[in-house]
Amino acid sequence: MSSKKEKKTKSVITSLKKKNKKISRKLLIYIIPVIIVTVLVLVNISASIAKNKMRQMARETLESSISNQADNIEAWLTENLTYFQTAKHTVESVGADEELLVPILDSFYGYNSNAPEGFYIGTTEGKLYKATESTMDETDITGSTWFKQGLSRIAMAYGTAYTNDQGETVISATGILNDGSDVIKVMGADVTLNKITIIVNSGVKMSGASSFLVDTNDYRILAHRDSGLVGTTLSESSSDALLAGAASSIIGEDLSSKEISSNMVAFKEVPGTDWVLVSYIPTAVILQVVTQMGVLLFMVGGIAIILIVIIVLFVIRKVIAPLGNISGNISSMTAGDFTIEVDSSSDDEIGIMGSKLSEFVASMRSMLSHISEESDKLGGESDNSARVSKIMFDASQAQSEAMDQLNQTVDQLATAVNDIAANATTLAQVVADTRDNSDKAGASMKETVEISQKGREDMEKVSLAMNDISKANEELVESINKVGQASEEITNIVGMIGEIAEETNLLSLNASIEAARAGDAGKGFAVVATEIGKLAQTSADSAQNISALINDVRELIDKVVGEANDSAESIKANSSLINIAVETFDKIYVNIQESNGLIDAMLEDVQKVDDVATNVAAISEEQAASADEILATSENMVEMAKNITQSSQDVADNSHELAQTSQTLTSYVQKFKI
Amino acid sequence: MSHNNNIKRILALLTASSLLLLSLYGCGASSSGGTADGSGVKVFFSTLTLDDFKELVMNSVADAGAKTGVKVDIGAPCATVDEQVAQIKDAVSKGYDAIICNPVDTDTALQLEVTAGDTPIIFTNSQPSKEHLTPDKYIYVGSYEIDAGTMQAEYVWNKLGNPGSLNVVLFQGQPGHPAAINRTKAVKNYFKKNGVNANFVFNDTAYWDTQKAADEFKIFLKTGQDYDCVICNNDSMALGVVEAMKDMGIDPAAVPVVGIDATVDGCQSILDGEMQFSVYQSAIGQGAACIEAAIALAKKGTVKDVEYVTDDLTYVWVPFSPVDKANAGSIH
Repeated sequence: MSSKKEKKTKSVITSLKKKNKKISRKLLIYIIPVIIVTVLVLVNISASIAKNKMRQMARETLESSISNQADNIEAWLTENLTYFQTAKHTVESVGADEELLVPILDSFYGYNSNAPEGFYIGTTEGKLYKATESTMDETDITGSTWFKQGLSRIAMAYGTAYTNDQGETVISATGILNDGSDVIKVMGADVTLNKITIIVNSGVKMSGASSFLVDTNDYRILAHRDSGLVGTTLSESSSDALLAGAASSIIGEDLSSKEISSNMVAFKEVPGTDWVLVSYIPTAVILQVVTQMGVLLFMVGGIAIILIVIIVLFVIRKVIAPLGNISGNISSMTAGDFTIEVDSSSDDEIGIMGSKLSEFVASMRSMLSHISEESDKLGGESDNSARVSKIMFDASQAQSEAMDQLNQTVDQLATAVNDIAANATTLAQVVADTRDNSDKAGASMKETVEISQKGREDMEKVSLAMNDISKANEELVESINKVGQASEEITNIVGMIGEIAEETNLLSLNASIEAARAGDAGKGFAVVATEIGKLAQTSADSAQNISALINDVRELIDKVVGEANDSAESIKANSSLINIAVETFDKIYVNIQESNGLIDAMLEDVQKVDDVATNVAAISEEQAASADEILATSENMVEMAKNITQSSQDVADNSHELAQTSQTLTSYVQKFKI
Repeated sequence: MSHNNNIKRILALLTASSLLLLSLYGCGASSSGGTADGSGVKVFFSTLTLDDFKELVMNSVADAGAKTGVKVDIGAPCATVDEQVAQIKDAVSKGYDAIICNPVDTDTALQLEVTAGDTPIIFTNSQPSKEHLTPDKYIYVGSYEIDAGTMQAEYVWNKLGNPGSLNVVLFQGQPGHPAAINRTKAVKNYFKKNGVNANFVFNDTAYWDTQKAADEFKIFLKTGQDYDCVICNNDSMALGVVEAMKDMGIDPAAVPVVGIDATVDGCQSILDGEMQFSVYQSAIGQGAACIEAAIALAKKGTVKDVEYVTDDLTYVWVPFSPVDKANAGSIH
């Protein structure tokens, strides 16, 4: 079990790790492209900004360079021109004396390296004056370019380029010699384009840049790095895109800096001339640094991406680690383990999650323990209920049995009551018999009374012998006294019978009460019935006693008759005695009459007993009916008790089920570790 | 209330008509800056040694100031850059809102700007190079010299019947002077653009000077070259040429002699049938424009609402107007 659990935990952990990996992978999938794009965009932006800045800087540098260069060229030109002008002034100051010209020109010869051939002077007359050492030769002075150019100005100025007699492309600085003479003389000095080219090329202030100089009067290239181009005309139809572009710019008088065929080109008019200096630098050179920077930026970007990825990974791990713990905790919770400790030390949302989870676990724990307690209680209660229902079942079973017994008892009671009824009927029969007997006794008494009447009549007949039987009479008196005594006993017996009747009455009352109680009353009733039986017996005995007594009375009477016979003899002897005997006879009669009355009374009592016995029988029958009802009721009760038993069985079943349910609940709750 | 309004209206009408009269009197040139309210604005005017035109500009600045309520203080004309720098330093310390400056040397514009500090400078008459000008701060009020040269060339070419080629005598102003450079360039470019083969038989500087121009023209005449016209960077030199022609017995009216500035003498020469054409640079217009720009800079910090201002807010170009015999008499 524990190994299984471990396995489960392990699988949870591995799945967690998987999930962790998934989260970090997901984050990386989202973050890395963003970072890469951002870095690329940044690199591109910086490269583009750098490019623009570099272009701008290059343009400014180029413009500054060209401006500087133009100033230098201007300075160079001005310097030379000043020198030329000074020389011209010197010549002018000498005056118009042409003979002095050569020595002066000689004195200047070789002085200025920029104009190595020195000065020369041509006149409208076709004369040429030059330094002695000068190799210059000009056949057609007035037709020469420099002379014509010189005629258009007094102050010395540079003209357009032309090829001189030496085959060199030169620019002449010329001007009319203002010497006051009427012969127009033009003084000049030649500057070779090679020289200007050197000045232009060496004046470039920006590394990687090149320059060339153009005369806007005839668009001739005065200076160029490529000496083959020097002296040629700049044309818009040039095969060199740069030259063509420069040409169109210059001709179109658009001297703003621009890019022409991958070159940054700047233009600058050389002050004091009609020349335009063109400076250009390949954009590749300008952007070389940018390209290098771009490469560097991309490398830095690459490293940054790697670093960021590592950092992001680290951060994700760091951030997700507590999440992993929480996931582990949740997994444990899923497995039912609430004994976990939730780490909520981190101060971010995950920390809050942890602390909330911790609270949840605590509340779950307390809830589960409550449930567990409750289910335990429920289990106990259901056990209790089962036990109670068991007891109830037993009790109801016992009751059912008791009811059965009761039923039986009632049945027995009913039987008993029926017996009583039967006995009572028998009693009544007996009493009726007794009354018949008593009736017979009464008839006998009447006969006795008739006999005694006849006896008195006889006595009266023997009245005369009374005197003789006085003594016998006295004996008779004694016997009668004995009869008197017997009568007293009869009286007593009758009293007894009365008592018995009374008791029988009471007993029957008791029996009815007991029967009503319908409990153990049956037994009581049996007793009563027995008493009643006994009483009936007693009544029978008394009746026997009465008959015996009556027999005694008859015997006594027989004796009296015998004695009377003796007395008759005596009466015969003594009439007085007979009288006395008659009187005594009367008295007997009265007594018998009284006895007859007593017998009648006794018969009445017997009648009463009969009534009672009949009543008892009726009551007993009623009791039997009641007992039947009781039986039916008790059968119902038995049925009900059985139902109760069934119900208590159901209750027991339900409580059993409840117990099972609570057990299941307990087993569920027990799955949670708290 | 309506009575009051009526009085106001009458006053306004009177003011307007008097202004109109004044402007008509002032050679009929438009005074663009005359309507701005410059009350409370203090302007210092610094100039180099005066000539006719510079004096005209100076006076028109003072007049425009008076019209708009601007307090204009005029410094003594400076002969040297040092004097001008000292003058501007003083002006800054006195808290002027703007300085109108006709610089002794345009190359020293940067020095003047450094001296002025936060105070804006309106350069006029002599144009500093572009890199020394800053929008809404160091601006230039003048006339577009290219236009002047173009007008000259156009007049001459039309006058000569639009020939395919022509011989031109050109007298330039002081070498390196922006006006001289631009006017010359404009002439050359006009011909070039119109496919005219302009042969500059004489092309030299006469330093704006009448006498120099006369002397040089006489020398040129000695060369015996043909010429179809004489174009001068200013009237002074044109007048010198006319003088030289007259000295040499040449009829000045034979070929077009043209100048720029429409000075009194120039206009008179045109009226006399000697010079044929000039270009009027409105000194009054420039003075008014200087004041308008000064008010704009002092009050709004920008010249964007000033008339004739360029899009880059660096130049205010008061237009030139051509002057020939028809209108020469009405200029002065």
